[in-house]
Amino acid sequence: MDMPAIATEGLTRRFGALTAVDEMNLRVAPGQFFGFLGPNGAGKSTTIKMLTGLLAPTAGRIEVLGLDLAVNAIDVKRQIGVVPEGMALFGRLTGAEYLNFVGRMYGLDRETAAKRAAELLGFMQLADQPKKLVTDYSHGMQKKLALAAAVIHGPKILFLDEPFEGVDAIASGTLKAMLQSMISRGATIFLTSHVLEIVERLCSHLAIIHRGRLVAQGSLEELRAGVEAQAAGALPNGEGHTAVVATPGKKLTLEQIFLRIVGGARPADQELSWLS
Amino acid sequence: MAELSAAPNVREQLTAIARVRWQLFVNSLRTLRGRLELVSHVFITLGFAMGGIGGVVVSGGGAWYVISHGKAEWLAAILWPILLFWQLFPVVATAFTENFDTSNLLRFPISYSSFVLIRIAYGSLEPATMLGSLWLLGVAAGIGIASPHLFFWSALVLLLFAVMNILLARMIFSWVERWLAQRRIREILGVLFLLFIISFQLIGPLMSRYGNREHPQILQLAQWILPLQRFLPPGSAASSIAGAAGADFTVAAEGFGILSAYCLAIFWLLNMRMRAQFRGENLSEAPAPAELSGERGTTRVGWSLPGVSGSVAAIFEKEIHYLSRSGPMLFTLIMPLFMLFIFRLTPSTSATGSGSLLGRSSDMAFPMGAAYALLILTNLVYNNFGAEGAGVQLYFTAPVPIRSVMLAKNLAHSSILALEMIFVWIGASLMYGPPALATTVATAAGILFALPVNLIVGNLLSISSPKKIDFGTFGRQRASNTTVFASFGVQIVVVGLAAITLITARSFGRIWLATIAFLVLATVAWVVYLVVLNGIAQIAFDHREEMIAELTRAS
Repeated sequence: MDMPAIATEGLTRRFGALTAVDEMNLRVAPGQFFGFLGPNGAGKSTTIKMLTGLLAPTAGRIEVLGLDLAVNAIDVKRQIGVVPEGMALFGRLTGAEYLNFVGRMYGLDRETAAKRAAELLGFMQLADQPKKLVTDYSHGMQKKLALAAAVIHGPKILFLDEPFEGVDAIASGTLKAMLQSMISRGATIFLTSHVLEIVERLCSHLAIIHRGRLVAQGSLEELRAGVEAQAAGALPNGEGHTAVVATPGKKLTLEQIFLRIVGGARPADQELSWLS
Repeated sequence: MAELSAAPNVREQLTAIARVRWQLFVNSLRTLRGRLELVSHVFITLGFAMGGIGGVVVSGGGAWYVISHGKAEWLAAILWPILLFWQLFPVVATAFTENFDTSNLLRFPISYSSFVLIRIAYGSLEPATMLGSLWLLGVAAGIGIASPHLFFWSALVLLLFAVMNILLARMIFSWVERWLAQRRIREILGVLFLLFIISFQLIGPLMSRYGNREHPQILQLAQWILPLQRFLPPGSAASSIAGAAGADFTVAAEGFGILSAYCLAIFWLLNMRMRAQFRGENLSEAPAPAELSGERGTTRVGWSLPGVSGSVAAIFEKEIHYLSRSGPMLFTLIMPLFMLFIFRLTPSTSATGSGSLLGRSSDMAFPMGAAYALLILTNLVYNNFGAEGAGVQLYFTAPVPIRSVMLAKNLAHSSILALEMIFVWIGASLMYGPPALATTVATAAGILFALPVNLIVGNLLSISSPKKIDFGTFGRQRASNTTVFASFGVQIVVVGLAAITLITARSFGRIWLATIAFLVLATVAWVVYLVVLNGIAQIAFDHREEMIAELTRAS
């Protein structure tokens, strides 16, 4: 079996009494477009922060491209690209200066960094206003710049925390084109997103985290088959919950699978006493 | 549909806000950083309390004196400094000022009058208002002791004067914040503001230069201006009290009327801003107009520095870009030269036989300028991740050791200091004559000692107590209380030690003794610096979560 691009073993993170990530054993194969899903507060961002070195695990082990992150942090970071929560931009640089800066932080020489920065600005349609500071960019432009910065050194793995949040259809199209291009070149992408339609369209494999625990992992088809098998076994539908079932002849959508797995469907008879 | 709740009660809304502020304060104590902030805050409050009590004694004594001597109109001389302090302190000392963002309140069903009340009430919870009010109480007490029958009228006038000050401070803040919303205007205003502040420093030297000579034109100008100040707030308040003291109720009413008119006019201007805010005005950075350029498709190659890695050079370049785009920060770098210029204006001897230090000891110009340059540098060194905001995450995801990041920042800041030292030396040479070689060497040695000490403490505080610098707001503090407090301590020790060493050596006529002492201290300081730098990665690693949380949080 191929060495996994990302593997965790018993990965745990506690914040005081709260266990945000609990004994997680995750495996992401090389070249996968991997969607990491979960309800709000499930532990997605905590996991991605631990995988990228922004947060120390309380327990467990992380291997990225076969390297132990705790031991080989610098070697791992050289091979990954990250768009963290908040994007990690430098507002008072221009887009070109920022990309140049990031390129050199990842070890590119000056000429290469400048050349790639120019190419990326062109690809991301950000080259029109070279003197504009990042702080003056719109949200969508900032997202595109953050992604450009994450790929400037040609990473083998790309970690993206909510890359499509607050992005319009045009910017979203550019981001997707970039990500597809990365996948076609053999990169692995690890993505968290609440936009399930995009995840369904882009990701080949998924994992779902709920209350800090990994509750499902596999390809979309495997997850669908599992949920359908459960439904066929007459499991929870009859317990007063809104039914999450596919229309006959149609496949379950990712949203339905997700709701089924995390049990987030609202009880049908639940109402607010004062809102009638 | 559910029934809507009853019309919101203003008192309950105010109480709810007060409670939420209290909860925020209590919650902040959960972290060590929050508890340290509280300790610093207690010390700073004690300092302010002493200033407040001293001010009460001075203002009360002054008011008692002028009323007792039948010169009530001279109260203006007491009220003017109070007004200037009240209005300027929040702007100058933003580290001690807390202006919480009320725009979040707009989503609640708050009436306009409640919004205004909240803005004014909670925006006024700052030392300047507390101290100003306390000093006015002192003035009222002084007047009451000197002339009990005047107390009630004076208290009323002073209360109106206090209201005027509160409204004026809020009005200035809200308008300046409006203008500062655009980066360009912010930078221009920042420079203008600094020019305004430093122009105050010219008053002393100019007074001592020209004050003791006869200048009929100045006297004429003063005779023309002084009656006019009666129509300004402190003058009208003083005039109103003086009118009451002299049983001239027309003058008393006139002064009171003028002060009331000021209150109304200021409130009208404040109201304009608050109306706009209440309607949901968004003061975020407006997108700059498109700048189509022929440079499309190319980007400039980054800097290369001899002897350092590409990443260190990149961070160095980024630091210089940031500095060059912060107009006010850049402007502060000329302050050491400006200070030397101010001292140059002060005559070396005056009629009283006193004179400026530099007038009598011009060879101290370079050491003083250098010390001032170091003090200015602490703005950058003590919160060196503050300007990065969310960008700080890059330092933890990029394959660059934090040691290199710190080294690059220290290198950039040290280079700026070295450059500034050269400018100071040239400036001192032009204004006071070239410093003696021994003094130059001793000063350089002194800086060699002081710099690493500041870098050590600055690096540690930047990691343990960072504070996001928000260029888009005005009057929100730019360093944590802990940092401000610690930097005061370090400066007192370092600059004090250096000054004592230099002055002692100079008094023995052997400046080289100071050089040796500084070099010994510098050796120890640099060794400690290297030890701390080598351990900085672990310290940053241990603090990264708090750092990232603090620097990425929304303003």
